[in-house]
Amino acid sequence: MNHFPGTWGRPRDDVYGPYDSSYLQTTGPKTHTQSPAVTGTSVIAVKFKGGVAIAADNLASYGSLARFTDVKRLRKFGDAAVIGFSGDVSDMQYIDRLLESIDIRENYSAHGNQLNAKNLHTYLSKVLYKRRSDFNPLWNHILVAGFDSEKKPFLSSADLLGTTFSAPHLATGFGAHLAIPILRRLFPEERSIEEISKEEAVSALKDCLKVLWYRDARSMDKYSLALITQDGIEVHEDQQIEAQNWAFAESIKGYGAQTV
Amino acid sequence: MLLIQTSIGTGYDLSNSVFSPDGRNFQVEYAVKAVENGGTSVGIRCKDGVVLAVEKIITSKLLKPGANKRISTVDRHVGIVSSGLAPDGRHFVSRARDEASSWRGIYKGPIPVSALANRLGGYVQAYTLYSSVRPFGVTSIMGGWDSEAELAVDGQGYYGAATGKGRQAAKAELEKLDLASEKLSLHDAVKEAARIIYVAHEDNKDKEFELEMSWISSLDGPTQGRHEEVPKELLEEAERAAKRALEGDDEEEDEGAKGTGNVGERMEE
Amino acid sequence: MFRNNYDNDAVTFSPQGRIFQVEYAQEAVKQGSVVVGLVNKTHAVLVGLKRNAEELSSYQKKIIEVDSHMGVAIAGLASDARVLSNYMKQQCLGSRMTYGRPLPVNRIVSQIADRAQTNTQQYGKRPYGVGLLVAGMDEAGPHLFEFQPSGMTQEMLACAIGARSQMARTYLERNLDKLEESSRDELITHGLRALKETLSQDKELTVDNTSVGVVGLADSGKVESFKLYEGQQLLPLFEALDKSDASETKDEETMEVDS
Repeated sequence: MNHFPGTWGRPRDDVYGPYDSSYLQTTGPKTHTQSPAVTGTSVIAVKFKGGVAIAADNLASYGSLARFTDVKRLRKFGDAAVIGFSGDVSDMQYIDRLLESIDIRENYSAHGNQLNAKNLHTYLSKVLYKRRSDFNPLWNHILVAGFDSEKKPFLSSADLLGTTFSAPHLATGFGAHLAIPILRRLFPEERSIEEISKEEAVSALKDCLKVLWYRDARSMDKYSLALITQDGIEVHEDQQIEAQNWAFAESIKGYGAQTV
Repeated sequence: MLLIQTSIGTGYDLSNSVFSPDGRNFQVEYAVKAVENGGTSVGIRCKDGVVLAVEKIITSKLLKPGANKRISTVDRHVGIVSSGLAPDGRHFVSRARDEASSWRGIYKGPIPVSALANRLGGYVQAYTLYSSVRPFGVTSIMGGWDSEAELAVDGQGYYGAATGKGRQAAKAELEKLDLASEKLSLHDAVKEAARIIYVAHEDNKDKEFELEMSWISSLDGPTQGRHEEVPKELLEEAERAAKRALEGDDEEEDEGAKGTGNVGERMEE
Repeated sequence: MFRNNYDNDAVTFSPQGRIFQVEYAQEAVKQGSVVVGLVNKTHAVLVGLKRNAEELSSYQKKIIEVDSHMGVAIAGLASDARVLSNYMKQQCLGSRMTYGRPLPVNRIVSQIADRAQTNTQQYGKRPYGVGLLVAGMDEAGPHLFEFQPSGMTQEMLACAIGARSQMARTYLERNLDKLEESSRDELITHGLRALKETLSQDKELTVDNTSVGVVGLADSGKVESFKLYEGQQLLPLFEALDKSDASETKDEETMEVDS
């Protein structure tokens, strides 16, 4: 070791040639997060008569690596709402802490004024929009499920750009491509939410999760499913996708273990 | 009374942060006077939780019954009750909430009750240092649950604490409970707290009051480590028991209050 | 020289533990003309007596709409009330902006209370010289709060502050049971009658000197937005008052069943 700390830990110039520091950006615009790091995939949700059902699997991927397999991506907010997160997991944890501090503030007095799911969605979409306008986005796409102030089932989404979107059934990530067509077939536009039972909604979500597990390489077969009704919130964690049948894979080139 | 007469006219009592020649800070002593006439508050720490209770004197028939809470939630696991100037109490609580939430911001977890008590002690002390502010006109009791039950006033841990007008009688009653042995259960502590407020109210009988109580139990108890209002049914049960106890043994109560009054006064300082 | 040495600022306690500057500010509230507030199960009502500086001048506003679910009635320094009510307006708009919900009444009342308290604990500040009655509606129902310069706030079933307000409070205390059971219109009538109690002999309520504010829950189950009655709009309310006065003098017992 010599007396020039600036060179410590660097390849020796006399052995490897002059150090190329060009990748250490010294000029140019300030940048924030350019891409997410550890991510969760789809969240799917359906409104039914008297409530909303929402589900997400337990996987957090690091690129294509299935890095963490027990991450809960559905978060309860009091007795009012469930929020499903896809996208960056550390940003999810940040938002979760934000929500926790709001929950504490809201409960300073038991005054009968609870924030409902719609209020939360308004708030979160504003947080997301503010961050994208600062060019420092929270890399998430979220679904908020619960009730609005008129006690009607509420389901809406907000993404990293602050875009909001609402529909009787929603899906983020890969689910937007793979689950939405299934849900549209099961619950066409002309079918009123009043005709959809809780059981039907749950089984639809399970079907979607199974298709996602078959075809989304960043998914897994362990998941959480939450039901929000006027009776309260039920969260079923660590559920397993059942009745898997991989026979279809045999006939698909590039899917299974074919060599040609 | 003697104390007051020696302070007036000396000029040493006109500004905060000024010592008198005999080493006293009169403005702080005057602030304590504001507390002495406030409704009595008590806190009891027992083996499986903490109970806070306060006597709310009803100053007008027009007040909404059951509203106007005097016990505040600071964080999920901490509550504060104050005697004295109510607006000062709210200021104190608001600072406590800021401290608790800033702790969460840094450490991503709930603030230990003793740490919160320490920080608030520092905050209150700072209001005795400058002539540009006045001391707080409140004494507060803080109760909370972290790994171990804790009840604290200005940084010191207590098994039982009482402030406000009836504090001497209340302290005498608390001392009888032998809280240090940690034998009292949380449910019994709720009843004792109610009874003590009723006992402390005896000297102020001409005024009506409302009893307000909150509790924090252990994680496997009824509140799961959270600070909550004592449920209505339990509160009413405790109130009934308190009234019965009061009718039962009036004489005994008086004796106890006399015997330990001096000890209570020293604790206050 | 027996001058009170302890009343020069709000940061000095008297030997009895009192803060005179705050108490003096409370006196400013008593100088203001009277306002009355009252609630029943569905509505909160504010009633105020306006004053004009001289015969030809306009009357000073007594009731201010803060948001569609809330209003305040003021007694004391009107300029201090404007500072507070502007702050309340901003906070209410902020809540609607970030959460899409009307700000709960107790929340905003606590906020102005905290502001007022700060003014009683720091040198160079003075306490607000105004008392407020805040009437509002939220998910928990209708609310009425009293706000004092000391930073003291209390939720009330009925309240009156300002000059000669004791007479109104006496009326309200006597009729407390009736208030709870009353309808929206009866509640207004009670408010007007309480206000009338405070008038000196030569005065009476007119469309010029009276203000009424109402907020509550409409029959549809939705919030009935804060409505301010002034001028000619007051005539039906006065009519109801006269009618109820007449029926009361005719037969006191039947008044309650009268609708």
